[in-house]
Amino acid sequence: MVELVLGGRTEAFEPLVTPYRKLLLTMAYRLSRNIEEAKEISQETLLRAFRYLGSFDKKRSFKNWLLQIEMNVWRSLGPKTPDEGTLRQMAVPDAAENPEESLAGKEAREKLLSCLDGLSPREREVFLLRDIEGRSVKETAEILRTSAISVRVHLSRARDRVRELVKERYPGLMRTQG
Amino acid sequence: MNCFRARKWILLYAEADLPARRSQRLEAHLDKCATCKKEIEEIRAALAGIQTVADQGTLDWPEAEWMVLMARIKSERPGPRPKSTLQAFPRKSWAYGLALVLILVAAVLIRKIVPSPPPIPLLAEIMMPTPAQPLRALRTDEATSAGYPQDLPFRVYERREGPDRVLLAAGPALDKAAQDMMSMTLVSQETGLKVHWTFNRNFDWEEKKK
Repeated sequence: MVELVLGGRTEAFEPLVTPYRKLLLTMAYRLSRNIEEAKEISQETLLRAFRYLGSFDKKRSFKNWLLQIEMNVWRSLGPKTPDEGTLRQMAVPDAAENPEESLAGKEAREKLLSCLDGLSPREREVFLLRDIEGRSVKETAEILRTSAISVRVHLSRARDRVRELVKERYPGLMRTQG
Repeated sequence: MNCFRARKWILLYAEADLPARRSQRLEAHLDKCATCKKEIEEIRAALAGIQTVADQGTLDWPEAEWMVLMARIKSERPGPRPKSTLQAFPRKSWAYGLALVLILVAAVLIRKIVPSPPPIPLLAEIMMPTPAQPLRALRTDEATSAGYPQDLPFRVYERREGPDRVLLAAGPALDKAAQDMMSMTLVSQETGLKVHWTFNRNFDWEEKKK
């Protein structure tokens, strides 16, 4: 599909990136904690992916390549103020859920994810890639263009901080999960 | 292993991110330490909570915005592969090798183009200036060499200039051909250093050390 796009069939780009549209937007939101910025990051990521598709190494994972671009875009744009106001409009509707429960659930989720606000930008990147997206330490290092040792150091700090915040804000969660 | 170190490693061990050897050492500690074991459970619970929440809270583009974005992208052309000098090389080491060769070639060219500086004088040349012109050889009738060995290839002339002053000069022996060079070798008995001096007729000298 990459070859098709590079060959001039630009309409092939949409099916190429559609599987990752949620991933990119969600990751951008978790990084920036600001929905407008998340859209901006996600949009810029897709634009850069299209422009630089020729430099994509086909031996690599396309998903990891997109994530790498997104991390670079996020760093280049810089952090903005967290904004939770418009999040509800963009959450994926779940037909099985009661609308009222869904709203309460989203708010609870937001609060729990706000534990990530206590992390430094690098710790947040590492934590999101490794613990939320499930990338391996090696893949995380590759995406962030750093060493596995650096990833482990930041990951360790991030987990320590997250544990403290969850324990402090949601002690019940620790008991039920444990 | 003590608990202080174990607690640092536990953070990675909880999700199997600790290297194998350290994991084994940590496990040996965990078998004996209930407190550290409890910490692992806490970390796993916190991470599981965050992961569950994250899985439920994915976002998606509103369809209209997504279509606008895709339309905008399709109106562009995918750019060519960015040109980088390093990209011409499949391995970085080749690029470094070529850079090294270029540096060596440049160094050789510079050495050829730029004139080399004058040779550095010997230390002895710096410390001992070239001796002054030798004394004029005395006329045979005003000097005598009776007191000096006769087997020398030159003759030493002597002139008394006062009660405490004697002037010496060397000149060709009367019965031998004049020679242009004279050499002298000094040997240090302590170090074995040999200093070989060769004098020309102007008393300029060269020094060789062995």
